[in-house]
Amino acid sequence: MSTPALQMSDVRKIYSMGDNEVVALDHATLTVGTDEIVALVGPSGSGKTTLCSIAGGILSATEGSVVVGGEAISDYGDKELTTFRQNKVGFVFQSVNLVPFLNARENLLVVDELGRRQGKPARDRADRLLDELGLADRAKNLPSQLSGGQKQRVAIGRSLMNEPELVLFDEPTSSLDTELGQQVMELIRSEMKSRGTAAIVVTHDDRITEYCDRTVRITDGVLGDD
Amino acid sequence: MFLALKEMSRAKVRFGLLTVALGMLVFLILFQQSLQNGLLTSFVGAIRNQTAPVLVYSVDGQRVIQGSIITPDLEQLVTTADGLGDVGRIGQGTFSVTNADGELTDTTVLGYEQPLLGAPAELAEGRYPRAAGEAVGASNDADAGFGLGDTITIEPSGYEITIVGLADDVQLNAGATLFVAYDDYVAAVQSANPDAGTPLPNVLAAAPADGVTPEQLVANINGLSDDLDALTRSDAADETPGVAQVQQSFRVIFLLYGLVIPCVTGLFFLIITFQKSGALTLLRAIGAPARRLVTSLLFQAVLIVIAGYAIGLALYTPLSQRRLGGIQLRFETTAVIVWAIILFVLGIGSSLIAARRVLRIDPIEATTGGANR
Ligand SMILES: Nc1ncnc2c1ncn2[C@@H]1O[C@H](COP(=O)(O)OP(=O)(O)O)[C@@H](O)[C@H]1O
Ligand SMILES: [Mg+2]
Repeated sequence: MSTPALQMSDVRKIYSMGDNEVVALDHATLTVGTDEIVALVGPSGSGKTTLCSIAGGILSATEGSVVVGGEAISDYGDKELTTFRQNKVGFVFQSVNLVPFLNARENLLVVDELGRRQGKPARDRADRLLDELGLADRAKNLPSQLSGGQKQRVAIGRSLMNEPELVLFDEPTSSLDTELGQQVMELIRSEMKSRGTAAIVVTHDDRITEYCDRTVRITDGVLGDD
Repeated sequence: MFLALKEMSRAKVRFGLLTVALGMLVFLILFQQSLQNGLLTSFVGAIRNQTAPVLVYSVDGQRVIQGSIITPDLEQLVTTADGLGDVGRIGQGTFSVTNADGELTDTTVLGYEQPLLGAPAELAEGRYPRAAGEAVGASNDADAGFGLGDTITIEPSGYEITIVGLADDVQLNAGATLFVAYDDYVAAVQSANPDAGTPLPNVLAAAPADGVTPEQLVANINGLSDDLDALTRSDAADETPGVAQVQQSFRVIFLLYGLVIPCVTGLFFLIITFQKSGALTLLRAIGAPARRLVTSLLFQAVLIVIAGYAIGLALYTPLSQRRLGGIQLRFETTAVIVWAIILFVLGIGSSLIAARRVLRIDPIEATTGGANR
């Protein structure tokens, strides 16, 4: 067996606001296989976004260990986390996903600009992704000229630009209608499977879970299998 | 610089307006520098650009040539000063004259006893006077009936002076100015007012002996009598009544520009940083080092400062050669260099406030949509 895409063990995350403490994640243990797609389902405020943020190195856990593609990130500082995000993970966020002054193709290419530039291979990859995502004729459009579904597809392309070990989708279909949502999920599944890339898909829509290999439920920061 | 340039190309109007605004500021600053220097030169150019290193006034004259009178006693006293190399008389009068265009106008006549003590330091055209009735005029007045070869008639006596040479920047009191030999000056005064007798010199022009500095000579002369007010050439120009006030007024204006520039650039970059904070947060979240985003911002600031300066300079250069009223403007190279440095420092410095804001962005905001606000 190859190294899992994600190994979280006993992860706790406590937000403290003044005297108040919120336990957003409580002893969360989760392993995601190399090319596994895991659905993370739970009510609002249950800790889904927190879990993704910790797995993606945007947030540090209060306790516990996080290993992504064999790289232990629990003790990383800001700079190391930035480099880690640049190279190892892909994100599709709940809200802002695109840079408004970059067109679709540039929103993909910007990933290559952040670290050590590859140039032509990156441009080729961007064009291939846009093509696969059905956006070849929208490459020059600014986000303001794209529909909700098209924007979401650009964001998926962006998340795959750095050939990540793990892609984190935070409610990728919540702003889309059912049919569009299912199309986007089909696209996510085929993109992940054709690359053998692991993913966590956050949702509270049970129909979405059909596109995933496994479903993990979360309630009040506590994980539980289906 | 991908991000910086892409953003600018997608927001051309916004960045263009800032660049043009900076360009206009630069133009106004440089233009006013030329105006200030042109104005002062037209007031005291005749003092600044004459040959005598030291001018001796009477204290009563309050540093105005025409108001100063050197009595024979004082003149005698000055000749005894330690470190004096040479001394000569200077007289100044204002006369009604008919110029070469046949117009009646006022003109200032400066008479100097010795060419090395009071004549224009350099000629732009023609030669120095050799005979009675010859003068060097100011090139600023050349088109106004005081050109080379023109003959000027002092009214009502009809005494004639012919302009045989022209010098740049040698006006006194922003009017037509003629430099003549001292005897010619005396003749002109007597022709205008036959009852006046022989006029006393207004100031004395002095040069230090070898090995003595003008400052030492000034101190020595001032030590001779409380009635003597010796000044070096540049002090005499700068301390002419009115000069300091003009300089002070312009200093206030320049200070205001110095405050406006960082406000304009600083606020601009702060506002656009706020407006795009969603995009910046997203970029941080997907692995953009904060340093990279700051570099991109500073790169934009540098580009805009350079472009703004180029626009300002392009507007200023043709205008800086012109004459405005009686004032000859000049391209002020020093001002151009100094203001380039000031603008660069203020422009970049003020955008650091926005840079600080960029450094403070927490990528976690990307997950909550908080950056949308
Ligand atoms: N930055 C924060 N500061 C304080 N509490 C937070 C913060 N982010 C999230 N929380 C709290 O942590 C809990 C889990 O939040 P989140 O992970 O966003 O849930 P979900 O994505 O499942 O809706 C919630 O109770 C939320 O209020
Ligand atoms: Mg959430």
